[in-house]
Amino acid sequence: MEGLPKVSASPDDEVLLELFAQGDQRAAALLTERLGPRAFGVAMRVLGNRAEAEDVTQEAMMRLWRIAPEWRRGEAKISTWLYRVVMNLCIDLKRRQRGGYLDLDAVPDPPDPAQSAPEVMQDGARHDALQAALMQLPERQRQAVILRHLEELANPEIAGIMDISVEAVESLTARGKRALAALLAGRREELGYHDG
Amino acid sequence: MADTEKDIDLLEALFEEARRDQPTLPDDLSARILADAADVQARQAAALAVPPAQNPAATFVESAIGMWRQFRAAVGGWPAMGGMAAACAVGLWIGLAPPSFLPDPAEFTQLSVDTTALPYDSYDLAVMLGEETE
Repeated sequence: MEGLPKVSASPDDEVLLELFAQGDQRAAALLTERLGPRAFGVAMRVLGNRAEAEDVTQEAMMRLWRIAPEWRRGEAKISTWLYRVVMNLCIDLKRRQRGGYLDLDAVPDPPDPAQSAPEVMQDGARHDALQAALMQLPERQRQAVILRHLEELANPEIAGIMDISVEAVESLTARGKRALAALLAGRREELGYHDG
Repeated sequence: MADTEKDIDLLEALFEEARRDQPTLPDDLSARILADAADVQARQAAALAVPPAQNPAATFVESAIGMWRQFRAAVGGWPAMGGMAAACAVGLWIGLAPPSFLPDPAEFTQLSVDTTALPYDSYDLAVMLGEETE
């Protein structure tokens, strides 16, 4: 008789979290494998800084472990809850860095000219170009665009994560997309895209 | 107009590449997350293993109940407790409404201050009782 409950081939996140709360360490490994990269990816996109993204991801996962015994099944998707925690941690981090104040609609400082220098934009430069453009968007626009176009979440789920209306999500993503297109305007050839 | 469409196409192409190129979780970060998970599991298991008596409120109640049991056993159990309760009730009743053949306890308290009162243990007590019964 095994002391730990069996983990099936692909249990959903809530089953894994219940098993974790019962002491199953394999559930922790599966949840980390499944949710960790998504949390880290979105934190990287929002913060544009690897070390900060790692800290935010670790803290978000820690909060997941702590809430496991009280998790109410069926109330929310764990991935949605985790995205929300990551987004809030990113906002908190930026607020602390700016001395307790963060205007979510403010346009950030212009990027370092070195980041947009053509010589830096070689192989793999498309990733950097997109990230540099994302970092020029206001905080909330950036979050909405990342969740919609990179994480491919539906607008109602994004609204739940960002605690805003679906209409506000649509507005933020539309404005964000237009701003990104303007920021990347004229760089098609430079980034290796050719007509035809 | 055409330029704007090209810009949007470029953006869509960059989004598409970024979606394909999702970052992987660094090994050291994964190890830290799993270490946190093990730590939280150990703490939660330890919290569940704490006996109720270690709860301060539960400890106080348990202690009070234990002292009451010891007292009850010392006086002889429930029958003795019943006798004590009856004796206490009778004593209280006598104190509040003393029978007419007993002196009023209030007068004892006045003996020390009332210089005209007669001594309790003298023959004059009979006179006092005699006056009451008349």
